[in-house]
Amino acid sequence: MLEIKDLHASVEGNEILKGISLSIKKGEIHAVMGPNGSGKSTLAKILSGHPSYEPTGGEILLEGKNLFDMDAEERSLSGIFMGFQYPVEVPGVNNAEFLRMAFNARRVCAGEEEMDPLDFDELLSEKMKMLKMENKYKERSLNDGFSGGEKKKNEILQMAILEPKLAILDETDSGLDIDALRIVAEGVNSLRNENNALILITHYQRLLDYIKPDFVHVMHNGLIVKSGDKALAHELEAQGYDWVTAEN
Amino acid sequence: MSDTLVESSAESAFLDLHKKLLEQGRPALVELQEAALNRFELLGFPHSKHEMYTFVNIKGLVATSFSLPDGGVNVSEDFVAGHIYPDCERQCLVFVDGVFNRGLSRFEGVSANLVSLSEADQELKDYLSKTAENENDVFAALSTAFCSEGLVFKVDDNTQISGTVQVLFVSTGRSVGPAMHAPRLVWQLGKLAEVKVIEKFVGTEGGYFINSVQDWLLAEGAGVSFTQVQVDSFDSWHFSKTRVHLNRNARFYSSNASSGTQLARHHYEVWLKEEGSELRLNGVSVLDGKEQVHNFIRIHHEAPQCISHQHFKNVVNGHARSSFDGTVIVNEGAQLTNSDQLINNLMLSNDCHANNKPNLMIFADDVKCTHGVTIGQIDEDQWFYLQTRGLSAKSSKELLTRSFAQSIIQTIEFPEVVEELNGTLLKKLEATNV
Ligand SMILES: Nc1ncnc2c1ncn2[C@@H]1O[C@H](COP(=O)(O)OP(=O)(O)OP(=O)(O)O)[C@@H](O)[C@H]1O
Ligand SMILES: [Mg+2]
Repeated sequence: MLEIKDLHASVEGNEILKGISLSIKKGEIHAVMGPNGSGKSTLAKILSGHPSYEPTGGEILLEGKNLFDMDAEERSLSGIFMGFQYPVEVPGVNNAEFLRMAFNARRVCAGEEEMDPLDFDELLSEKMKMLKMENKYKERSLNDGFSGGEKKKNEILQMAILEPKLAILDETDSGLDIDALRIVAEGVNSLRNENNALILITHYQRLLDYIKPDFVHVMHNGLIVKSGDKALAHELEAQGYDWVTAEN
Repeated sequence: MSDTLVESSAESAFLDLHKKLLEQGRPALVELQEAALNRFELLGFPHSKHEMYTFVNIKGLVATSFSLPDGGVNVSEDFVAGHIYPDCERQCLVFVDGVFNRGLSRFEGVSANLVSLSEADQELKDYLSKTAENENDVFAALSTAFCSEGLVFKVDDNTQISGTVQVLFVSTGRSVGPAMHAPRLVWQLGKLAEVKVIEKFVGTEGGYFINSVQDWLLAEGAGVSFTQVQVDSFDSWHFSKTRVHLNRNARFYSSNASSGTQLARHHYEVWLKEEGSELRLNGVSVLDGKEQVHNFIRIHHEAPQCISHQHFKNVVNGHARSSFDGTVIVNEGAQLTNSDQLINNLMLSNDCHANNKPNLMIFADDVKCTHGVTIGQIDEDQWFYLQTRGLSAKSSKELLTRSFAQSIIQTIEFPEVVEELNGTLLKKLEATNV
């Protein structure tokens, strides 16, 4: 589904990613871990098409198509979804209306009709119920004044509405208490099927107890320095990153 | 006169025009006109650095040679009906080219409230002549010098006008020489009286100068909700002066939505004269091309425990210009004043301009006053965020722009006006963005 080959990327002239290669197939879950500042969010932003992050080498193919030929909108419409580490507050833009616009943009792109507002409201209510979100979040402005945990839930709500092929969740677990984490993890799991894939960026093994990864990668200084299965996450939890990063 | 740099020919053109007006017969308000004309001569047109016109270039306006409105223009009932809001069909006052038009107006319910200005009581006449003699704005003086007749809308003590009163100002363009229209209105509210008013300014075609003056006199405990929608033709000039006097516990809530003209300027002057009075002044403008809107505001806090709240938002695109020049003066003795003033500008192009001069003058020591200005582009992070959810760059930008303007539009209490503004003002954005 996704092929990242020797990816180099810069922000404001500084090289942050220094040659990342990663192959993700349908149905897989990849966890990306690594110390602060190692480039995890940079990778996520490059995947989602952030204009400030410039790919300087290598390539990324999404189902064979060159990702660098697509802008953020096209990537989203092609099925990429990034759950932001720091979701952006957008005062004045109604949450429910925004979700409907995003949902319909995808439908129209797929050559389908826009969904009737009442039907959409039902769909939205159902997804919100799954995430145990109160109805009042429909009427609020997008992320405006939301707590950290509420913002993360709202990201997963968007994911649930958009049903992406490839979701990159950047520290969605940070800022969630254990109950909220369980709810969010159940939500994410319920969206899984053999045709989609997931990249989970996280610092904590805890999340991986609920969403079980097929692969775990450790990033350090702009490179993937170790890959393994979920046992690697346990080792990291027990021993910290030093033993991995020191090897490199 | 010493302040005047613009050639005095500009003033004399208007003086000549006034002579022509007198040749047509004795105006109903001749004494008031004369007082205003004297004031006009004394003030003269402002030079380019005049403190009241810092951001407003009036050269083109004063160099234009104007004619008198001919009064005989035909404005169809259909045209008028198209601009009357659904709830206002039974109480709508229509002015055509600055003159109250009884035929096109509907006022069964409020006929007892209407008095011609020339038949106003002595107290009001004294107020008006004193105001004319002390007028500080030369264009307001000019308006009064040319107002043919005015209208007083009077609400008695303890009376609430039911429903909403609409005032529609229709201006007609002319093939020969543009005309200046000078509508004049006085709103007089007794103790605990209340009224809700929507004013709309429209043009059948361009090439006119609408120069209006209004006075709002609110007695103790009176309440006003006042919404103005300015959608004149682009190639017109729109000047307005709104004077508001608030007595004890009176409330004046005003919202203005402007789509701009080649030169539009709103001047508000408000006196919070007695304890407990409250002013809310909101404005939104959406400008494109070469449209302009300028706001000039002076608020005088003269008594303790008064509140004034101002929030203006401008969306500026193309080569458009907006400006805000507002001063809140908290006089000695106006303790516990609560005043805030916020101006937000959203700049959508490199060639647009927004000038801001918020100011506070405080002569009392126990007050809570704030003011602030923001000038910004579309927030890149917000813009990107929306695009990652599959919205196009264009529609994301529109959505952000709409939401910026909407926070003011939504404060308007008339759903039909909100709906109209969403359709017209915000439509402009869709056509031109990105
Ligand atoms: N917009 C930016 N401008 C300048 N430097 C940046 C920017 N974004 C990231 N960087 C730098 O790139 C490096 C990698 O940052 P990134 O956010 O990708 O790390 P991370 O692995 O996600 O860290 P964390 O675990 O703290 O979220 C850091 O040194 C950071 O300072
Ligand atoms: Mg990060």
